[in-house]
Amino acid sequence: MTTSSVSKGCFVFKPDLKKRKRTVDIEEYFVDADDDCSYGRERFSICRSLWEKIKTDTEILQDELNKKILDSLLEFIKKCTSSFQCRSDEWSCLMRASEIPTAALVLGVNVPDHDMTFQSLSDLLQESVTPFAVSVQAKECSGMPKSNLMQKLLERLMGVRVTEEEYEEDPSLSGVPLQQKRVSCSIGALCQWYKAVTNVRKHIKFSPGKYCSLENDVLQCPPIVVIFKDFEAFNPHVLQDFIFICSRYIQELPLLLVFGIATSPCTIQHMLPHSVSSLLCIELFQSLSCTQHLATVIDKLILTAEFPFKLSGKVLQVLVNIFLYHDFSVRNFVKGLQLALLEHFHSQPLSVLCCKKKHALLNAQKLSHQHLEMLRQLPSFMRYVEAQEPQEQVQLLTSDKYVKEVCQKLLKDIRKYHKNYYCILRCLSSLTSSLPKYPLGKHIRELHMSCLERNIWETNEYESAIQLLRLLAKDELVATLKKFVFVLSQYLYSTIPFNARIWFWNKYTMLCPLGMHVEDVSEGITPLGKDLQKKTDLFHLQKTLLEMKGSRRTKKMTPFEMLKNEALDFIDCFVRSHLSPPELQPLHEVCYYSSSGFLRQHLNATPRTSIQTALSQPFYYLQNENLKTDAGTVSSSAPDICIVYKLHLECGRLINLYDWLEAYATVVSGAEGKDPDSEEYGKVDELKHARFIKAVSELEFLGFVKSTKQKTDHVARLTWGGC
Amino acid sequence: MDFVSQPLPVSVNYMMSKHKSGANCSAAGECVSEVQRILRERFCHQRLPDKPMGLESQYKHLLELLRRTAVHGESNSVLIVGPRGAGKTMLLSCALRELLDLQEVKKNVLLVQLSGLLQTDDRIALREITRQLHLENVVGDRVFGSFAENLVFLLEALKKGDKSSSRPVFFILEEFDLFAHHKNQTLLYNLLDVSQSAQTPVTVVGLTCRLDVLELLEKRVKSRFSHRQIHLLSSLSFCQYRDAFRSKLSLPDDFPDSKFSQDWNVSILKLCEDKSVDEILRKHFNSSTDFRSLHLLLLLAVSRVSVSNPTLRAADILEASRMSNADTKANILHGLSILELCLIIAMKHLNDTYEGEPFNFQMVHNEFKKFIQRKSHSIHNFEQPVVLKAFEHLLQLELIRPVDAGVCKVQREYQLMCLMLDQTQFRPQWRARSGQLMQEKSDEMWQGDENTKGMTLQNSATLSTLACLSLA
Amino acid sequence: MPAVLQCPGYPEAKLRCLAESLQCREVQASTLLALMGEPQQYSYPSVFIYGHRATGKSHVVLALLTELELPHAAMSCVECFSRGLLFEQVLMALFGPEAAALLPRCASFSDFVRVYRQMCAQEPADQTRYIVLERAELLRNMEANLLPGLLRLQELVDDNVTVILLSEIVWDKFRPSTGCFEPLLLHFPDYTKAELQQILSRHSHPSYTPELYSSYINILLGVFYSVCRDLRELRHLAALNFTKFCEPLEKGEAQESDTHKLWRRVEPHLKRAMQTVYLREVSSVQWEQQQMDEKEATALRGLSAHAHVELPYYSKFLLIAAYLASYNPARTDRRFFLKHHGKIKKTNFLKKHEKTSNHLLGPKPFPLDRLLAIFYSVVDSRVAPTASIFSQISSLVTLQLLTHIGHDDQLDTPKYKCAVSLDFIFAISRTVNFDIVRYLYDFL
Repeated sequence: MTTSSVSKGCFVFKPDLKKRKRTVDIEEYFVDADDDCSYGRERFSICRSLWEKIKTDTEILQDELNKKILDSLLEFIKKCTSSFQCRSDEWSCLMRASEIPTAALVLGVNVPDHDMTFQSLSDLLQESVTPFAVSVQAKECSGMPKSNLMQKLLERLMGVRVTEEEYEEDPSLSGVPLQQKRVSCSIGALCQWYKAVTNVRKHIKFSPGKYCSLENDVLQCPPIVVIFKDFEAFNPHVLQDFIFICSRYIQELPLLLVFGIATSPCTIQHMLPHSVSSLLCIELFQSLSCTQHLATVIDKLILTAEFPFKLSGKVLQVLVNIFLYHDFSVRNFVKGLQLALLEHFHSQPLSVLCCKKKHALLNAQKLSHQHLEMLRQLPSFMRYVEAQEPQEQVQLLTSDKYVKEVCQKLLKDIRKYHKNYYCILRCLSSLTSSLPKYPLGKHIRELHMSCLERNIWETNEYESAIQLLRLLAKDELVATLKKFVFVLSQYLYSTIPFNARIWFWNKYTMLCPLGMHVEDVSEGITPLGKDLQKKTDLFHLQKTLLEMKGSRRTKKMTPFEMLKNEALDFIDCFVRSHLSPPELQPLHEVCYYSSSGFLRQHLNATPRTSIQTALSQPFYYLQNENLKTDAGTVSSSAPDICIVYKLHLECGRLINLYDWLEAYATVVSGAEGKDPDSEEYGKVDELKHARFIKAVSELEFLGFVKSTKQKTDHVARLTWGGC
Repeated sequence: MDFVSQPLPVSVNYMMSKHKSGANCSAAGECVSEVQRILRERFCHQRLPDKPMGLESQYKHLLELLRRTAVHGESNSVLIVGPRGAGKTMLLSCALRELLDLQEVKKNVLLVQLSGLLQTDDRIALREITRQLHLENVVGDRVFGSFAENLVFLLEALKKGDKSSSRPVFFILEEFDLFAHHKNQTLLYNLLDVSQSAQTPVTVVGLTCRLDVLELLEKRVKSRFSHRQIHLLSSLSFCQYRDAFRSKLSLPDDFPDSKFSQDWNVSILKLCEDKSVDEILRKHFNSSTDFRSLHLLLLLAVSRVSVSNPTLRAADILEASRMSNADTKANILHGLSILELCLIIAMKHLNDTYEGEPFNFQMVHNEFKKFIQRKSHSIHNFEQPVVLKAFEHLLQLELIRPVDAGVCKVQREYQLMCLMLDQTQFRPQWRARSGQLMQEKSDEMWQGDENTKGMTLQNSATLSTLACLSLA
Repeated sequence: MPAVLQCPGYPEAKLRCLAESLQCREVQASTLLALMGEPQQYSYPSVFIYGHRATGKSHVVLALLTELELPHAAMSCVECFSRGLLFEQVLMALFGPEAAALLPRCASFSDFVRVYRQMCAQEPADQTRYIVLERAELLRNMEANLLPGLLRLQELVDDNVTVILLSEIVWDKFRPSTGCFEPLLLHFPDYTKAELQQILSRHSHPSYTPELYSSYINILLGVFYSVCRDLRELRHLAALNFTKFCEPLEKGEAQESDTHKLWRRVEPHLKRAMQTVYLREVSSVQWEQQQMDEKEATALRGLSAHAHVELPYYSKFLLIAAYLASYNPARTDRRFFLKHHGKIKKTNFLKKHEKTSNHLLGPKPFPLDRLLAIFYSVVDSRVAPTASIFSQISSLVTLQLLTHIGHDDQLDTPKYKCAVSLDFIFAISRTVNFDIVRYLYDFL
């Protein structure tokens, strides 16, 4: 569960029905938040539809990412099952100690993501292999009696059997569970139950049922699969006993274990002594690392033009940092994305324009006056206006109609911009991702972020990258260019002028053979075969050959150099024209969410610091003017606890309560505006005393001080340093 | 000495008997199985002897007490204290047997037998009492405020038609000390209380092996106990012991085949004179005078009697005593593999160097590696996991014990252990083992095969290591 | 010696075929049989049989009881983890389900005895009843009265019943403080090498000559005998590696006669087996697979080969800090982590009187704030003390990379231990290129 994950505590998970209620609330919230009640609902519906899409996409992603490992797991299970059936009396089988087939499923430390995996696993099992798949969690069986685990197992299995409808009417079977109820939880009972069930299955085998698709043996006696979701958290003794018991019955009962392991397979050996682990026949299944996982998710959700909603560089930075530094949880990443989405659509009224193209245009058409005013207020739009000719400007500032048209145009532009942007981004990364020392980063997301920040071509990383590209050996260069072209050719929808492509195409295809050619000059042999296998399609091939002829005739380097420079310059101008950061785009505020502080506050809370700010600068929270003080001092009219806190900061490890009280009294009486010379100034009366005591106890509750035995009427201070 | 000569005459005159009575093997077989039956009943089922041996005074005392209750209806309470197997139960049941022979007592007295092992708390005990007094139906499903009420009700229910006299009840509490652990000793309190007040004649007889049992009792309970104790500190002399030995083995006169029984008894007499048997008996006598251990010994001996050797020979007794006091730990140690034994030696070294401080696997392995280096050629170097597996096996055999049990959190190789063996168990062991190795070595040499030569070398080397180590 | 089992009252034929099946255990079997005596005779109330794993304790006992059709109840205390379960099983086996049904829900020992008496009043014993309990050492963890009670069960239920306890652990470890009824101890010695050889050679592979197989067994024992004497284990290994042994024969490269060559071929393989299959690093199935397709054992990595764990950046540093905290003495922290620790002489800093290195003694517990202090000093960037940092610590605990000392409900100043090995931490610190050796006291 999430609470046992690296990301524990970052999120609050509400029960479902509550959440549904919430969403309704959100809608109201959206509406009320608007000063005029227009578009609130639209925004909400857009937001929701977007979120649905994202969610479904991620789930699909999850599935196809897990597909490989799960399939191999299923294979393994099926194999074991069949081997159970043909308990052949051949020699080796007789001689061998019978072991429990066990799958060690290593899923990585991002525990919150595991649930989904296990869910799909058990679904797969249910539909394709066996109805008897039980998954148990540590905290269900953490109880002292080791019967606990067995009990869970039994009641799950048999409970399932009772509720299974196709046997309901079968009297012979409905008796079975009842009789089991009497028998206390021993694996013997399980055996009887299993026999009964499998017999019935044999009877109903020929009746059309959902199992008939399966091969016969699996149908007749399906294995009992026990899934330990969080292996590390289990009590070793419980596990050991369980495994030992199972191993005694493995002959009658086709048992299969699946260990969900978060760390590494070694834990099995750490938790189980050899005497127990020698009863298992462990097969290892390693899931792909969660960083790859994240890469794919970002690739599908962020680096695509199909979602109108975008994250600014900083926001993305925050999310990725949380992922990399704190938890490896993709699920939490997506949740962060969701939060950003909600926040964007809630806070930005103009986000009504942030949707599918034609909707956006429609909405743009029926923008109200205030919205247009807001639109005009947008800094990006202002910049745009200033860039226009005077009469144009006048029009823009006066006529709403015109603004709407312009707005539509701009929206179209921004869409176009996105298309090209991602296309070129991928191309560029395809070039630079293989460079030595990754000047522009290894992953595409890094490149993306730096592009979002500033003009990439002004950075010297970019410079060095281009330099490296120039210095590349010929064949390497050709290879990278090939990738480039390949990526380019995937983006047919991108609006890069076709002729430009063709032009580049030619350059490229001229380039390759030269590379080859130079090579063979140096080597003295003609690696045509290499050349051939490098080329894929015929079109390339003939061009290549042609070029080779041409270049053979003229043995000089210059054409290659020339071509190379041309190509790179071409790429460069591509980059310059298409990879400009979105801030420069007018109306980018519509679809870019940029308040990273908000996200950080909510996703990566710092309770301690906030407490301390509250205590040291009360003004920060209760916006009361006369609490405003310069740093370090605290006004005497601040809440008692603040004063007490401030005073205790000056003390040493042990604080004399009486001195503390005195100091407090003086400060407070300063607030009462008594004149400092009067003798009752700073006197301690019952009221002050009581308030002081209250404040101190509050401090103690917050864990800043605690009472100590070392010295009478002293308290020990627990925190150090300014913070 | 005369192992060989001694059994001879017996067998001879057995032969003669066979010859003249023409009794064939089957007859002998029947006799033997009859002997087995009788003796087993004595030794296994603790069949009551005709009179308790060596406990006459205590017997008289107890009997007197019980009779007073049974006949004159005096309440009482008494503790029978004695070491395990001293015959407390036997004593009591003998007394009861004699008492219940009297007709009027028999139909009058009620008997309630509880055992601390069974009635682990007072609720169960009470149910048991009700059951043994056959009052379930009387009680029915009536609920009682307190334990005392319940008990009193039970006793009331026992009263006969005329309220004057009521039937005496014997409460017999085996493992008396365990009852003292029940929640505020309610049962004991009430029973003793009843035995104090003269309402119903009740005698509480407690049997325990704890001399300090009175310390366990709360003050209010103790004050209600008549401090009568019968101690079974057996003051048995060796001759008595030997007589007991003889009488326990000898067959009764009502044995079907008188001839056989005579022979048997004669042979038993001979046996008692035998020196080896005598010294074995002395050994046992010195270790423990109680009869149960003697029974164990005799059963082992008797179980060896069969048609093929129809009499009890000294050899049987010897064998039996060998079996009954074998060193169990040494036996277990004998089964260890060489690697495991090396580990134990390493642990012993650690114990010696660090004066018995606990150690963990890392240390042991470290020590072990030192040995290997010292005798690099001898034991070929095992991987750490292999050694760990051996270590775990030792742990499983509880030859080593984790210092803080139940802490499974610590990495296994760092869990602190302490060795559960001492020098005495250890020394002979490795000697035996080295001898065994020699044995193995020799027979491998004999079937001189290439590979086994390698093995042999290794073994001999190991042997030498063992030697040097445990002499070091 | 051919000790043929013999005891009056049992059919000869059965005894004979028993003697067949109980190879190398004739002595123990006959002793046991003698002790049991004839069916209707009384037998000793409780017998305690001890001996190593796979020395045929339960095999012999059960073989005798089943073959001679004596009334008995056999169960393992691992399965009957609760008292009630145990009683239920016993009654079920001795008197049938209706007896078990008489037990109340959570039956006490007294209930058990009551029901037992009641049942055997209905059907008095003409034969000795036997109750066999395997893994008897687990009885000690149950109620204190259970073990002594069972030992004198015959007396308590007043029936001709014998309780047979089987365990690997010596009786001394069972005896309660106040003593109890002493059972009759019976030892099953481990098989000698010759006996192992004999037993293992019995089930030779059908398609090869017994001689060949026995020579193979001889080689096997040559490798494994010094490490493992567990018959079951050895048989398993024998089964796994036999194909490899026969490979040259299959290929026709060797004759059955030249054992030396065969030995040469198979011995390294067996050595490898000791490091892999024997430790279950590699599952037996994989092992056979690998034999089939001729891969080198280096090709398939054991479980411990995948020791690498992917962790978030800060978790790595937390782990490193924890490792340092638990393997360095606290007094050395100043020297390691203060930039300008005053002049601490290396000489008096390294106290030589510490006789054993900390990596021998194992990790020491450390308080949370020490961990955090070290963490903040080793991690390169400045880290805000966010909630997620603290949650990472507790999740490291649940991943068992750290262990929490003391109770979980102890809130103030929790103590931890680092539970990872040196290699592991090396791997981790390499990924964040942090040179941990410079910070470890033991490596100075």
